[in-house]
Amino acid sequence: MEGVHNKKMMKTLLALIPVKSPLYYFHPVTRLLLFIITGFIPLFINKPELNILFAALVMLLFIYSRVSLSSLKIYLPVIICAGIFTFLTFIFFPGDDSNNQAIGHLFSITIYDRPIMDACIAYSKILALLLSSIFYFSTNRERDILAALRTLKVPFVVSYVLGLSLRSAGMFLEDLHTVREAEQARGLDYSAMKFTEKVKLYSMYIIPLLSLALRRSDEISNALFVKGYAIKGSGKRADYILSKYNFTVVDIISCIALILLLILIVYFKYSYHLFDSDQSIFRYFLK
Amino acid sequence: MTTKTVTNVWKLNEGEIRIPQTNHVIMMALFIGIGVVVGTFGSLAVPVGFVSAFWPGQAIQSVGCIWFGMWGGIASIVFPMISNAIAGSASIAVSLAYVPGNFLQGMMAGWAFRLFKCDPRLKGGKDWAVFTVFGVIICNAIGAGWGVMVLRMFGLISPSSTLTVFLGWAIGNAVPSFILGAILLKFVSPLILKSKSFCKKYWA
Repeated sequence: MEGVHNKKMMKTLLALIPVKSPLYYFHPVTRLLLFIITGFIPLFINKPELNILFAALVMLLFIYSRVSLSSLKIYLPVIICAGIFTFLTFIFFPGDDSNNQAIGHLFSITIYDRPIMDACIAYSKILALLLSSIFYFSTNRERDILAALRTLKVPFVVSYVLGLSLRSAGMFLEDLHTVREAEQARGLDYSAMKFTEKVKLYSMYIIPLLSLALRRSDEISNALFVKGYAIKGSGKRADYILSKYNFTVVDIISCIALILLLILIVYFKYSYHLFDSDQSIFRYFLK
Repeated sequence: MTTKTVTNVWKLNEGEIRIPQTNHVIMMALFIGIGVVVGTFGSLAVPVGFVSAFWPGQAIQSVGCIWFGMWGGIASIVFPMISNAIAGSASIAVSLAYVPGNFLQGMMAGWAFRLFKCDPRLKGGKDWAVFTVFGVIICNAIGAGWGVMVLRMFGLISPSSTLTVFLGWAIGNAVPSFILGAILLKFVSPLILKSKSFCKKYWA
């Protein structure tokens, strides 16, 4: 990762990524489409090995985009806990299917083949969907999302609300940091607090933060009014952000390829049952 | 001896005209941001896959709909989609399927407070009862019911675990939503009621 750190990095919504990442050859619309398509594909696939392959491809995309993989550590508990939870629900609640065959025991609970297969399918989907979702937010900033929406001619009020929402999440965290620093400056010692006191304190943080948001909403709406913006359209205006992006032939080909891929997967799934779990290698292992 | 006067915060004053303004849209956007942070924190704090077992974001939904009416309802739809995507707790397809559940989960409290003329500052027993029943119990039951149905539809939970997942989801979400919701209503409502963003009707 040293090589990555030596380059000029840019902060996205979730991670750090080089300004010259190869992913930025693609227009934000193409990246948004990738996010949407990859958010659907695993749902049509019931072969765990294919979903795992899909997840591996997404990991390759992380590497291709030169995302600092250390930023993904926060998701490790999510990935592990989701797996444990998924398998436990299928183990403890296998259902009363007469075709279920016992394959082992876990603390006096019989484990059956079909529920475990279903757990493999469900978890592989969750894993693939989780990674593809993280990938989008690790490689895109609010500005990219706005550029994609504005290119798609989404109404100003929608793109503005979405952009401000994403930005306000960051402002909210900054305000929280300021409030905590102010408390520490007044001598509050977090380490000396009991767990229940900490929980109570965290709940109470929401009060000053909402007060700040309230004041900010007045300031922003006044600023918009002064600049001549209105909710119900304020005429055509020059868009600086869009001038920074070009929708090239590569983007057109990529978008067509992504849409075709989804159509093909849906077609083969429902016409030839190509992605059903019947021929999955996991089934052979469980037998 | 002091006498307690009951004020109806939802009643329009004489000559008062309320129309949706830029301020409502901005407050909704900021509220979505707050919901994104609270929702993402909840999803990352207790990560159990696509199932929601401790999600304080529900309090934001209920309280938002009480204060900001339909603007809170829109926020109730949008912020879970963003926080689910950031926390990796649901894909875009699953989040889209959650939309009606999230809307009802939020609007139930907003509707009940307006219908029963309750005070958002939780000043009396009626206010507490309506918040607990509609803003915590019923809305979480609806949200959990819808959520479990969606997960069943996508094959992400076992059919026989439906009731257990439903109960875990509803009860697990009800606890933080009651605590955070009560704190918000009790302490922040006095500020909100004085602001331009407060909606006496559904849109203004």
